[in-house]
Amino acid sequence: MIKIFGKRLISALAVLLVVSLITFFVLKWIPGDPAQLILGTEASQESLEALRESMGLNLPWTTQYWNWLVNLFHGDWGSSYIYGESVRTLILQRLPVTFSVTIFSMVIAVPLSALIGILAALFKDSPFDVLSRSLMQLGTAIPSFWLGMIFMIVFAAQLKWFPVTGYTPPSEGFFAFLHSIALPSIILAIGEMGVLIRLFRSSMLSALQQDFMQSAQVKGLPRAMAIVKYALRSAIIAPITVIGNQTAKLFGGTVIIETIFALPGIGRLLLTSVEQRDIELLQGIVLFITFMVVFINLITDLLVAAANPLIRMETGGKES
Amino acid sequence: MKKKKITVILGAILISIILLLCVVSFFWLPFDPDRMDTANRFALPSMTHLLGTDQFGRDVLSRIMIASRSALLVGLCSVSVGALIGLVVGAIAAMSGPRLQSLIMRVIDGFMAFPGILLAMMLVAVLGKGQINAVIAIGIFMIPSFSRLVYSMILENKTRLHIKAARSYGCGPVRIVVSHIFPDMLPRLITQFSSSIGGAILTESSLSFLGLGIQPPSASWGMMLSEARQYVLSYPFIAIAPGVVLLVAVLGFNLLGDGLNDRLVQRGGRA
Amino acid sequence: MSAPVLQLQGCTVTDARDNVLIHDVSLSVGAHECVGIIGESGSGKTMTARAILGLLSKDLKLSARQMSLCSQDLLTMNEKQKRAVIGQEIGFVPQNTVAYLHPLIRIRNQIADGFVQAGRGTRQQGQAKAEQLLASVGIRDPKRVMNSYPGQLSGGMRQRVNIAMALMCDPQLIIADEPTTALDCIVQQQVTELFFQLHQQRNTAILMISHNLTMLKKYCDRIIVMYAGQIVEAASAQEIFDHPHHPYTRALISVIPRLDQDPNVPLTEIPGYVPEKNRGRTSCLFADRCAHCQPQCRQPLQFSDALPHFSRCILQEGGMAG
Repeated sequence: MIKIFGKRLISALAVLLVVSLITFFVLKWIPGDPAQLILGTEASQESLEALRESMGLNLPWTTQYWNWLVNLFHGDWGSSYIYGESVRTLILQRLPVTFSVTIFSMVIAVPLSALIGILAALFKDSPFDVLSRSLMQLGTAIPSFWLGMIFMIVFAAQLKWFPVTGYTPPSEGFFAFLHSIALPSIILAIGEMGVLIRLFRSSMLSALQQDFMQSAQVKGLPRAMAIVKYALRSAIIAPITVIGNQTAKLFGGTVIIETIFALPGIGRLLLTSVEQRDIELLQGIVLFITFMVVFINLITDLLVAAANPLIRMETGGKES
Repeated sequence: MKKKKITVILGAILISIILLLCVVSFFWLPFDPDRMDTANRFALPSMTHLLGTDQFGRDVLSRIMIASRSALLVGLCSVSVGALIGLVVGAIAAMSGPRLQSLIMRVIDGFMAFPGILLAMMLVAVLGKGQINAVIAIGIFMIPSFSRLVYSMILENKTRLHIKAARSYGCGPVRIVVSHIFPDMLPRLITQFSSSIGGAILTESSLSFLGLGIQPPSASWGMMLSEARQYVLSYPFIAIAPGVVLLVAVLGFNLLGDGLNDRLVQRGGRA
Repeated sequence: MSAPVLQLQGCTVTDARDNVLIHDVSLSVGAHECVGIIGESGSGKTMTARAILGLLSKDLKLSARQMSLCSQDLLTMNEKQKRAVIGQEIGFVPQNTVAYLHPLIRIRNQIADGFVQAGRGTRQQGQAKAEQLLASVGIRDPKRVMNSYPGQLSGGMRQRVNIAMALMCDPQLIIADEPTTALDCIVQQQVTELFFQLHQQRNTAILMISHNLTMLKKYCDRIIVMYAGQIVEAASAQEIFDHPHHPYTRALISVIPRLDQDPNVPLTEIPGYVPEKNRGRTSCLFADRCAHCQPQCRQPLQFSDALPHFSRCILQEGGMAG
């Protein structure tokens, strides 16, 4: 167990290191001089040089990278030149919005997909299965920004079930808060369900074909019991990892939905930083999001490893 | 068996609709897609404007047809670039020694850790907006998944007896990959290629929707939807057509990929 | 002899395209009897066992004139009743031990499922019984095995657990489908011995499927020879070896490697292939590979299965046996 923990931790750290290098270098290559970008074209040569010196732009890249990493660890994620605030403050301000939309959409998507996927597998090739597969295809192919607009017209503007745009923080009432993030969450959930239904369906199908289902039958267990006790147990393990993965990915993919529904989340901040080429802000957000992705993946991996005797045994080895 | 055939056929039909729009656009367009007609803004579909007009009175059908060019271009080019580089990177990783192998795969893992559109957005921030940069950004975005696929397939194949046999009579790594493993990988590569085009078109339109992809005055479905967004509550109709066409394109490539996967990969894999 | 435990008459299985997979298989297993089925891969011996157990996949069609288990007619039962009866009266030991036990459930929590379901006692009683059975199938440390996951056990151990699990409801019949194929040689021997010890001690009837003729000869009362989905010969074990009627049986016996044979002479083999198509015909299926084939063999033939020594060949009836 500890060995697995260590292994996963090391590989997660390696990924983070690579990610930080990619982010650092990609953003280093941005054409144009960051100092010039900040001071404008009117700035004098001396003041530019002074700023470069103070930003450490004249140092060799290894030193720059190292300083940047050290600062990150000390909680200094740089500062945004368009907002004139520290990147950390900006991100932490907007985190709750993105976080709640992500979690809420997974709360909707996971149980529904599990239900639909497992039923579709049980009644393979039935009209329900065909319908679920069509939904699955639509869910993955439908552009979220388009679906968002359609839903906004129908459910917010016409039926007035939800507010059209905007975000109500939970401090102004939990229900109002849920109400304000419901529509964006549903749209994200529909996209996720395309992936998750497919996953649950195939996982359940393969469980149903396992020998232990025959074993259950020959032991005289009714089919319903065999399904609940035997098939479901192994059908649910594989999706857990992917659910973790998807949650993480979703966390970084809220930019479009936040744009449509004017939610003040990290995605909007990201878009602004790209549009304005606010490099330190962009760097901070990208690294923050990828860190969250790696972190969530690590946690799910470890949870699954802890729950699954097959993985636990990898370290114990076979006893014969 | 029969249903898988239907998936492929349906996918092919949807793709041909888009291809048709694109091909016809080179010979004939209902209107000049850039011609503005302010007297005729937000017109509902009629015999003259089959899909109505937009906020500047431009003909929506003509703009959709013009935009199909860039969607297919960006889709095909970026996936080709991504697949080609991904293939080479994956093959190098799989055939090289353990050090280089784990170094390459760590970097790939690193790229994979950027969720969804984040990597493409970051690349656009560096490269700047525009069609060619979108192709490059989406192309880079496609590399990791292709190299992962190629890498795992080569590793899987490497342990097979006919590969060991080939190696035992002195085949070099390049020859093994090209003439012994590649034919085996081809069905899955084709499948992945087709589905990736769907993904690439979706990514392109997302970027354009955010204003980071194709720039005006060129037309793109994502951009059309982005422009429609401001007027959508008063004129819902202008948001329908570009979205449907985009959905048809993405669905078409996804279905084709899925259907081919069932037909080529699973049948071939079991035999 | 008392009523047979298992009585199967005219069992035919066809696939979705109406290809016959097994044709007109009739067999019976008497109380306390040990019957062996032998045949090549693809001869339909596993299919026959699966047909009896109700484990055929859904796209296969089963028809039979009679299929009864302990005097209960399986053909007229609904799915639920059939499962319950089979669960109580038959214990099945599979060929592949890897996934027959649920990999994510401790042995303790799956071995007694059938016992509890059949209403024979509580889970605790079932687990206590399982421990005894595990000890009786030669597991030295039943408590530890009960607390293990299947992946923590070796193949031989898993097969012992499977055997114990098959015995949980004290079934009248055990069907074993090549139970030792996946095991290594020494364990094979042990498991085979175990089977026949159980047979002796518990007087359970056994239907053993195998491609090891020597093993069947040693332990079985009767042997059924299957070829291309049909039973070609059935008789007592002694009779099969002493007076094989069907050329295929003779060929099978002749290809058994012997210790005293000259190591420089290559092993004999039966030329040709097992037919895949047209298994439903009544003309001889072995004719193409048979050294004694006569024009008559290509015609539809009829054989009586009333005799104690059944053979689907004209030879013994024409008085040319041996």
